[in-house]
Amino acid sequence: MAKKKLSDSVVKELAEEVKEWGSMKQTGVSLKQMMNFGGSSKNLLISAQFVHKELPIRIARRVIELENLPYGLSTQNAVLQVRDWYLDSFRDLRSYPEIKDKNDELKFTQMVKMIKVRHNNVVPMMALGVKQLKKERPQFDYKDLKEVHQFLDRFYLSRIGIRMLIGQHVALHDPNPLPNCVGYIHTKMSPLEVARDASEDARSMCLREYGSAPAVNIYGDPNLTFPYVPSHLHMMVFELVKNSARAVQERFMDSYDDAPPIRIIVAGGLEDVTIKISDEGGGIPRSGLPKIFTYLYSTAENPLDEDFTSTGAATACTMAGYGYGIPISRLYARYFGGDLQILSMEGYGTDAFLHLLRLGDSQEPLP
Amino acid sequence: MAAKKLYESFSKELIEEVHRWGSMKQTGVSLKYMMEFGSKPTPRNLLISSQFLYKELPMRIARRVIDLQTLPYGLSLKPAVLKVRDWYLDSFRDLRSFPDIKDENDELEFTKMINLVKVRHNNVVPMMALGVQQLKKDLHPKIDYKDLDEIHQFLDRFYMSRIGIRMLIGQHVALHDPNPPPDCVGYIHTKMSPLEVARNATEDARSICLREYGSAPKVNIYGDPNFTFPYVPTHLHLMVFELVKNSLRAVEERFVDSDKVAPPVRIIVADGLEDVTIKISDEGGGIPRSGLPKIFTYLYSTARNPLDEHSDLDTIDLATVSTLAGYGYGLPISRLYARYFGGDLQIISMEGYGTDAYLHLSRLGDSQEPLP
Repeated sequence: MAKKKLSDSVVKELAEEVKEWGSMKQTGVSLKQMMNFGGSSKNLLISAQFVHKELPIRIARRVIELENLPYGLSTQNAVLQVRDWYLDSFRDLRSYPEIKDKNDELKFTQMVKMIKVRHNNVVPMMALGVKQLKKERPQFDYKDLKEVHQFLDRFYLSRIGIRMLIGQHVALHDPNPLPNCVGYIHTKMSPLEVARDASEDARSMCLREYGSAPAVNIYGDPNLTFPYVPSHLHMMVFELVKNSARAVQERFMDSYDDAPPIRIIVAGGLEDVTIKISDEGGGIPRSGLPKIFTYLYSTAENPLDEDFTSTGAATACTMAGYGYGIPISRLYARYFGGDLQILSMEGYGTDAFLHLLRLGDSQEPLP
Repeated sequence: MAAKKLYESFSKELIEEVHRWGSMKQTGVSLKYMMEFGSKPTPRNLLISSQFLYKELPMRIARRVIDLQTLPYGLSLKPAVLKVRDWYLDSFRDLRSFPDIKDENDELEFTKMINLVKVRHNNVVPMMALGVQQLKKDLHPKIDYKDLDEIHQFLDRFYMSRIGIRMLIGQHVALHDPNPPPDCVGYIHTKMSPLEVARNATEDARSICLREYGSAPKVNIYGDPNFTFPYVPTHLHLMVFELVKNSLRAVEERFVDSDKVAPPVRIIVADGLEDVTIKISDEGGGIPRSGLPKIFTYLYSTARNPLDEHSDLDTIDLATVSTLAGYGYGLPISRLYARYFGGDLQIISMEGYGTDAYLHLSRLGDSQEPLP
């Protein structure tokens, strides 16, 4: 059961430890560094020791933030649940003994894997917390809650980093890694190929929802490859194509004209790989554009209802459905030094520009 | 010769008057208002308009004098900047010494006077550019354009204000035209076809490209030919010309030694409820993400300035400074024009592929002038 305030609980020492670790300096890693750090047993030990020190710092920071949110967000039940997850994970890490040999390391890896699973539903749970806040204070408009937006951006960006570190460490233990892969990173990822797969997935979803789906034409060099995390790129392209397909369907649903295809261009430069996703779905008014990057504006349904004590992991595993896709896609893009920009022509269509760093030497952002 | 400090050649009273008028509250006008007001250019309305300008112009001009005197890094003391300050001071004086406007004759005299004020300020942009160049020479070479943010912001405000002053004056003067073209209210075309303006501006840009490179890429323009809305055609022409010029140049440079046919530049004109948006897309190879902020700066310009260090600043060959093209101010100033009536200009690029420019124009025209 969620406790209300840390000081109410028995463990005052824990509160002090959280405070202590929350003020330590975080250490960022770049994609390049992660990639060059392979899975030899010596490296696994080093990696485990790094993660053992680094994770509590990042997690403690989040606990402190969760306790200090404005407008009473911290006391919403769903937010308290998230805070408790972070606290439990902090405790698990801090109570784990020094990692001295391969056995320690394997047990540690099991433990951080469990932590990652524990946090699987953080996004919908926080979304529920925000919803609870809105219910409590209906007079607030998304515009007024800039602080909350900024907090959520930092919070989710940090989560991406934590899950990347854990996931990468765990994946390095795979005895049969796929060719050219180092953990989550594909050293020769073809953005064209990932874009194709993600588009097909988005089209399938559109087909299920509308009975038809616009064509997607993809242009680019099939031989262009660079090191990146395919699951991240897949997620972002899927989200953007999904939105484009929906816009086009809604626009041409009652029309005799053929729905114009969505166009994707994959370009390789010296600094960046850029993926543009263009649709003719009617566009978004200039005044409405800032909203699409907000968390609080979401009108979509949340898979978790009020009774969150019975959370089926299956119901909460996708983010589709509560409108967090675009802001979170942008965080994924920025995590490795890229960006996501969306421009629109009201009455015509929308263009999304996904910039990904080609060199991978950008250090993780550490909010 | 331009005096270094105000008090060296101007009276104390004038200085005080400048400060007084420089702190008065400016009044902004929207395109819609200008259009409605100017649709009936009766002598009475012209009188009202001139009386408004009589009060409003000195306020705006005084503000700029004060700004020009207080620039960072010693920019205020550069000879070219002092020259501009003197132009603004002379204009302030002309306005303040003009008597009350009581009848049609006064009004006509006033109109002539402000027209001359406008002519006096024709070369402000290249002159300020020269001042900035003079500053760059003096500055420590390590200082980068990024560090001079204050100057960027000043120039943005300064040029935006200039657009407003020239719009007010030009509009008032144009309302005296006894034979205005149909559907026009001064500078404003109440039924402007963005497609048509885009076509004209594109042809002008292609001509320049042809002269410079011997060839010019095609430009395909898509949009509703029957769509019109109220706007200032010269402003739109300037912006589209600038953007297409840049696109053509990029494409030419990229394909100059190639056997492949240069891909066309594509322009799409879209109309929505709030905005008219014009997108200009090229496949000219794009700009790296790290280089994009620079294209909107004034200080980064590497192009030559038609005024060089040794020109006599009093007699400038107008022909050499008649176009902005050449000192790289086209993009930041195009953006100011877009924003002046509530629109915007955004440029996004795909390194290795090409660049897209999005020109948003407010459809309703009810956005008040920005008053920096």
